[in-house]
Amino acid sequence: MFDLAVVSQILWTSFATSSYFVLFAVAFALVLKVNKVFNFAQAGVMTCGFYAAYVGVRILNLPGYAGFMLGIAGGVAMSFVLEYFGFAVLRQRKASAMFVFIFTLIVSQFIAYAVMMIFGTWPTTIFASMFWPVTLVGGIAVSAWDVPAIAATVLVLTGLWAFLKYSRNGQFMLAVADNADLAELYGIQKDRILMLSMVMAGVIVSVGMFLYGSRAQVQAAAATELMLFAVAATILGGIGNIWGAAIAAVVLGVVQNSSILFIPSAWQGFLLFAFLFFAIVLFPRGFRLPERRNTLKRMAVAPQALSDGKGN
Amino acid sequence: MSSTLEIRGLCKSFGGIVVADSIDLDLSPGRVLGLIGPNGAGKTSLFNLVCGVVKPDAGSIRLDGQSLEGLPTYQRARMGLARTWQNLRLFPSLSVMDNLMLGPRVYSADRLVDVLFRPAQIRANEAEARDRARDILERTGLSPIAQSRVQDISFGQQKLVGVARALMNDARCLLLDEPMAGVEGQTYALIQKAVRDIAASGVAICVVEHNVAFIRDLCDEGVFMFAGKVLARGSVEQLIADPHLTELYFGT
Amino acid sequence: MDFVYSILIFIGLFVILASSFDLVIGHCGLISIAHPIFYAIGAYVSAMLSKQSGMPVPLSILCGGVGALLASALVSVPALRVSGDYLLIASIGFQLGLIELAKHFHEIGGAGGLTNIPSFLIKDFGRESYVVLVLALAGVTVLFIRWLTQGPYGRMMTAMRDDELAFSMLGRNAIWIKVAVFAIGSGIAGIAGGLYAHYFRFIEPDQFGLLQSSAVLTMVVVGGMRTTMGPVIGAIVLQLMPQVITFFNLPPSILGPLQGLLFTGLVLFFMFVRPQGLLPAADLWVGRKPLEGAGHSGKEARS
Ligand SMILES: Nc1ncnc2c1ncn2[C@@H]1O[C@H](COP(=O)(O)OP(=O)(O)OP(=O)(O)O)[C@@H](O)[C@H]1O
Ligand SMILES: [Mg+2]
Repeated sequence: MFDLAVVSQILWTSFATSSYFVLFAVAFALVLKVNKVFNFAQAGVMTCGFYAAYVGVRILNLPGYAGFMLGIAGGVAMSFVLEYFGFAVLRQRKASAMFVFIFTLIVSQFIAYAVMMIFGTWPTTIFASMFWPVTLVGGIAVSAWDVPAIAATVLVLTGLWAFLKYSRNGQFMLAVADNADLAELYGIQKDRILMLSMVMAGVIVSVGMFLYGSRAQVQAAAATELMLFAVAATILGGIGNIWGAAIAAVVLGVVQNSSILFIPSAWQGFLLFAFLFFAIVLFPRGFRLPERRNTLKRMAVAPQALSDGKGN
Repeated sequence: MSSTLEIRGLCKSFGGIVVADSIDLDLSPGRVLGLIGPNGAGKTSLFNLVCGVVKPDAGSIRLDGQSLEGLPTYQRARMGLARTWQNLRLFPSLSVMDNLMLGPRVYSADRLVDVLFRPAQIRANEAEARDRARDILERTGLSPIAQSRVQDISFGQQKLVGVARALMNDARCLLLDEPMAGVEGQTYALIQKAVRDIAASGVAICVVEHNVAFIRDLCDEGVFMFAGKVLARGSVEQLIADPHLTELYFGT
Repeated sequence: MDFVYSILIFIGLFVILASSFDLVIGHCGLISIAHPIFYAIGAYVSAMLSKQSGMPVPLSILCGGVGALLASALVSVPALRVSGDYLLIASIGFQLGLIELAKHFHEIGGAGGLTNIPSFLIKDFGRESYVVLVLALAGVTVLFIRWLTQGPYGRMMTAMRDDELAFSMLGRNAIWIKVAVFAIGSGIAGIAGGLYAHYFRFIEPDQFGLLQSSAVLTMVVVGGMRTTMGPVIGAIVLQLMPQVITFFNLPPSILGPLQGLLFTGLVLFFMFVRPQGLLPAADLWVGRKPLEGAGHSGKEARS
């Protein structure tokens, strides 16, 4: 069972599968870094993104790329609604962190129930078939899904990286992440930037859900578990470290998928909760990476400092 | 005389900002030390380090000879360390009286088991704490507003409540962070008197203050801090007269 | 008549759940929505103890409560040691993970649920007696939480919510208070779980998931956090409301989501339109009479 071919096959497949995990984790980490919320409503955005694509492809019989666009439109629309009618209002009202937490959780469940009402509880996929043709590359079966999925993920990550590094808005975003009030003093429109980061997260998770939904079955509650995975990766990657979250997501994805080698498949679902728990118990502040000299280093202050502010 | 608080080689930096650069400092019982320095010198940070709000990079802190290393804030408080905060940090959902009631080193309801199974003891502890609080409120002139909400009283009175709450601790060492900022008139005199009384009872006190008159009236000695370093220690007059320090202070 | 009894029992149980949840989330300010998992632990522990080892039901219910109390520490101690924010995540992970785990254990019924749980009181004294028991315990719970929150412990929780750092600086151990209150709230939920199990005699893992979480949360938010009667009113209103839906004879595939939609929709509505809930809590914490001390009650008490 442990021969090289099997192991490398499983490693490849789990690597390919972790592509969407990476996207979910990056989106979650981005919103946590910039908007300073544990956005559990991301599950709702994911659900919207998926079902928009689903409606496009399966119900309206649109071609795949149109469904993809529709999916992104769905995720973005939901992100917009969340920020505009939710977070912005709560911010203005100076609602407590607990209030915002409850809001994000309840919204994602509200969406899940709404979707259950509309589409039922049966799992579905974006395309009629979730099986993809396979080519053998050096003894490893590579499905037609794998390469585009990895390519899309790399593309999104590169885009995000370039955006944060080179675009004006990206720099503004980092400034807001570092110190929102200070950024506002320098004339950055905080609300616009926060909206932008929410919308970008919406795009990212919609791409992720399109990938996921074209390969696995989705039902209304599925997004919650996928999002918890992203939460675990975000914590392991170190709060405020987007790329750390991405790397952690790959590692967790590979571990979970290759766990078929070690544990019965019935228990695979349980692994997610083990990750979550161990992330919090063992690595609450993420893996300690060597400190980079970077002007934005202060973001690495753990959540404690985020919530306490400085002790004056 | 041995010192109540003994700080040796204390270092701390946030990213690139050095807030404590191998600080050595002693606070002696019954003496009031004034901590002077420009904004951002690291005065509040020094208090945070002593209280365990911020963890030092290096160095040791001893209270009455006992090391405070690694102890959480609440344990330091129980060992006799009390402080006030630059931005007050009173409990807005509690009355003045209840703000004080939480101050004793040993609180009536610290142990849940006692709350559930020893109501008589709780009642006795509460009564004792209340008497103590009344006494302190009396001394600080806050008795008339004991039942008011802290938002409803004047800023000077709020500052005074902060000091009064710290006094409940019966502390060995008291750290006051800008007790006079924004305070004037009668309250000014009340705070001054309160600090004098506490010092007279053998408590070691450290006051951060920008109000030079207050420092001069009150402190036995002064320390000048700049960029996380203790630059000079001496009588307040000396420190104020030093042109070099004045220049640093006003940042010309 | 059985239908009415069931509703009354549900009301009683949810009064217990909502009040104890309010203690955790409202009074102590701990963000966690995993309350139903402790309800589940109480139910399973009590059911298994009485079913397998023939333990008398009152004792097994008590053990269920203790089990839930201890289990809560598994979540709260590691999470709270780091920061309050992590409790929510750890507790959701614990809740969903444990439900997943329970589905794989055939010894406790697996995903199909645990059946034939021993009943209590009903055979000897009729269903009415159980209704009385549950409602009485609900009353005791409400009074106990009121007593606790209006005493010196309530003063501590209030201050801790206001400013945890200043609170620690006074010598109070915030982590321990959080762990203790989380444990008490969870223990009470565990007892409610035992009461549930021995009346309905059937429990299954999926009952205690996120739908249940949002139901309890809704009761507290709608009723009014940090009030004695808020969770009670919330529990009654939100127990009766879904009953109205059941009269429409909808298929279960619609009914479940519809209830969920109702619960979560109500929370959202209240959050934005009336965030304080039906009964708003007072801004100022005021303790019980002997604590308030208008006169010199302290000195009198000692002499
Ligand atoms: N938690 C923290 N993270 C990052 N930087 C911090 C933190 N706490 C303090 N600083 C920085 O350390 C420096 C010293 O701050 P501190 O509050 O100790 O100054 P201070 O002497 O009390 O000044 P002031 O007179 O204005 O009160 C400041 O530049 C501040 O921004
Ligand atoms: Mg300061």
